[in-house]
Amino acid sequence: MVKIPDIKAFEKLRKKLEGEKDLNRKSICVCGGSACIATGSLGLIDLFEKELKKHGIDDEVDILVTGCHGFCEKGPLVVIRPEGIFYPLVKKENVPDIVTESVIEGKAIEALLYTDPMTDKKIVYEHDVPFYKKQKRLVLGNNGLIDPMVITDYIRVGGYKAFASVVDSMTPDKVIEMVIDSGLKGRGGGGFPTGVKWKLCKNAKGKTKNIVCNADEGDPGAYMDRSILEGNPHSVIEGMLIGGFAITASTGYIYVRTEYPLAIHRLKQAIKQAKGLGFIGKNILGTKFSFDIEIREGSGAFVCGEETSLMHSIEGLSPEPSQRPPFPTESGLWGNPTNINNVETWAVIPLIVNKGSKYFSSIGTENSKGTKIFSLVGKINNSGLVEVPMGISMGEIINGIGGGIPDGKAFKAVQTGGPSGGCIPAALMDIPVDYEKLAEVGSIMGSGGMVVMDEDTCVVDIAKYFLSFTNDESCGKCTSCRDGSKMMLNILTRISEGHGKPEDIDLLLELGEAIKDASQCGLGQTLPNPVLSTIRYFREEYNAHIVDKRCPAHVCKELVNYSIDPEACIGCGVCLKNCSVGAITGKIKEAHLIDPDKCTKCGVCREVCKFNAVIVE
Amino acid sequence: MIKKTKKTKSGFVLVIGGGIAGIQSSLDLAESGFKVHLLEETPAIGGTMAQLDKTFPTNDCAMCVISPKLVGAGRHLNIELTTNSEIMGVSGEAGNFTVKIKKKPRYIDADKCTGCGACTLNCPVINVIYPVEKPYVKLSIEDMRKVRPILDEYQGKKGNLMPILQQVNQVFNYLPPDVLRYVSVELGIGLSEIYNIASFYNSFSLTPRGRHIIKICMGTTCYVKGGERLFNKVSDEFGIENGETTEDRRFTIESVACLGCCGLAPAIMVDDEVYGKVKVSSIMKILEKYK
Repeated sequence: MVKIPDIKAFEKLRKKLEGEKDLNRKSICVCGGSACIATGSLGLIDLFEKELKKHGIDDEVDILVTGCHGFCEKGPLVVIRPEGIFYPLVKKENVPDIVTESVIEGKAIEALLYTDPMTDKKIVYEHDVPFYKKQKRLVLGNNGLIDPMVITDYIRVGGYKAFASVVDSMTPDKVIEMVIDSGLKGRGGGGFPTGVKWKLCKNAKGKTKNIVCNADEGDPGAYMDRSILEGNPHSVIEGMLIGGFAITASTGYIYVRTEYPLAIHRLKQAIKQAKGLGFIGKNILGTKFSFDIEIREGSGAFVCGEETSLMHSIEGLSPEPSQRPPFPTESGLWGNPTNINNVETWAVIPLIVNKGSKYFSSIGTENSKGTKIFSLVGKINNSGLVEVPMGISMGEIINGIGGGIPDGKAFKAVQTGGPSGGCIPAALMDIPVDYEKLAEVGSIMGSGGMVVMDEDTCVVDIAKYFLSFTNDESCGKCTSCRDGSKMMLNILTRISEGHGKPEDIDLLLELGEAIKDASQCGLGQTLPNPVLSTIRYFREEYNAHIVDKRCPAHVCKELVNYSIDPEACIGCGVCLKNCSVGAITGKIKEAHLIDPDKCTKCGVCREVCKFNAVIVE
Repeated sequence: MIKKTKKTKSGFVLVIGGGIAGIQSSLDLAESGFKVHLLEETPAIGGTMAQLDKTFPTNDCAMCVISPKLVGAGRHLNIELTTNSEIMGVSGEAGNFTVKIKKKPRYIDADKCTGCGACTLNCPVINVIYPVEKPYVKLSIEDMRKVRPILDEYQGKKGNLMPILQQVNQVFNYLPPDVLRYVSVELGIGLSEIYNIASFYNSFSLTPRGRHIIKICMGTTCYVKGGERLFNKVSDEFGIENGETTEDRRFTIESVACLGCCGLAPAIMVDDEVYGKVKVSSIMKILEKYK
């Protein structure tokens, strides 16, 4: 690769690449996101290649390995362009048919098409799938169109155009003004206005300034940052370049968690290519602006998502949070002013520059602008990544895009914001999703995790799960967080085992408030939220555990019993074979029995039984 | 010097050695009215006790005991300190000794010196910077071959400890104590600080790990969909707990916060490969191919 000497040369390259774009060229898009790779998408690519060669059309048809399309539930996903025929759950044996019928003749194969769970209709085209139709995919849109490993693919769809126009014709102050006008708020969870943060950092005293991209996506149940890094790493790099120019910073760090090996690999490749073309380095595009980007890997500590901890981790110190103020914008990495933003925030920046702050602020509600990516997962039909305008109703996301709850179960609650957030019950499904409203109902926007729960999920168990997570991840600096979470966990464990006392609920509430007040960083200040919000909306369920000693969702092990329905059991013996403790007895073709003394309540019998004969009460 | 008065008893006392015993004896004698000469070989009194932290058997703080006595001996009008001196010879008999003392030069006017210490700080002789000899850490040639390239890549860079530990963890599959000691010496970072960081993060291991690492996702989605049952199954089957390794070093199991494959919950990751929608009844089959 040859360095681009100046902005004129970049424009020339961009026009040349855009001119090469052939809208009618046939291509097979295979999703190369982590989830689709796990379901075997890479194996499909070789088969497609062989099949195309067999028909002698390997020159006419491109095979594109793209980033995550978002619809992870149905992977591996394949889209045939230019028609846009959408095939979910593609298997190896489907490949020859797809090539002969769809690629060559442009026809859809009825049997392989996607069926909408709400209407039971077959859907041919990608843009007609309700999961995609109701989204507004501004940030994720390019994921399905480009190969994340090729920088020219990104430039072809308008990449680095925003950065070039910024260094060419704007002053840093103007860029900051633009970001402030757009109303963009930090997508990592805090929701601090991004432009204001940039301004603080730019105006802070200090010779060298740094920017950091926080990609330590620790919230369990959230993976939008991973998808952006895997599917469109250059958008993050471009956002950081624009930010670096606006803040007059010299170095940018991307802090990625080590559990995302593919994201790290693609990011490294992207940085290498950007360096090769001269987007990163000295005197970028012939201007006075110089900027370098380094990758730092996390090592599996949730607290490192907190900004002061993250900086300590980069410095190689013990990653404990420190007191703010001084805020990182005044004194961050090695004492220099440092601006930290989340992956999604950086990825939005090129969009704001390209389309203007007015366009961006026209989307969303009064105080929350633009679109937000959520990872819609859990007990829901269409789980995956969804990008929606702020202010959309919760019900629209879950029923409209998510396709409702599987197996005809009743919808119970949705958990947002990970271990720092809360549960929102079914009764509040009409609320608009924005920063203020979610805070009002006792949850937070967070980084965008949305875990859907049905009637089979026990809220006490969920609260206990989150507390055991935060208790485990607490760095141990503040007593209120370290010991407070332990105490709350003890009380919740007691309740879930049927030894709860009537005064426990009030004790939990009091303890929760104390932990919120006395902890230093975000981890401690928000860790009681899952407990407080579930008590607020599901107090009855807590009472059922404490007073009636029963778990209405049949989850808490100590409060349930497994038995076999003698009428439904046909005596096939599968459960007997699978039981690892030998608690099941019975003869073939006769109803089986579970010995409650031996049963460890592991649930294998229920999972393997094809006749729903195992009852949990 | 002690006057030689034949056949008459001398009222002077000479105490040899300015350690705690010498100081205490001098103080007692001085208090009882004798003029005491306290002789010490080194330039200052105090001896070994001044270098100790605690004293046996009471665990009293050594300096708290000795420092009032040091000051007392220094200021007592009946005690004359003769430091930096050696005994050359003793003659005479009990009650009347003659002692020959060699007083080494100080090159300093002791009457004017206030003991501020500024001269020692600025002395050009002792302040010559000699290369500090690194403590020697014994490392096998194989280990050295593995660890040296990692150190060469990162040495001298800002904030290099984390990447070095990550690489060591990857190459050795855990953090061997000897290698950590070597890294500590090479980087000039205290071992305690390195252990602080090594024990903080979940992905660092201080014990040898298995050939294959099974990571079972305990993210919210996987938990709701039964991730814990998968964990219990594997844990029961191999008889090991979280973070432990089977005796044949085949598997290590770890529960992780989130693999980011929530669309495929419950998910597990074996080495770098992700498996989605895993069932309790199928998990052992997946593990079979990892030998």
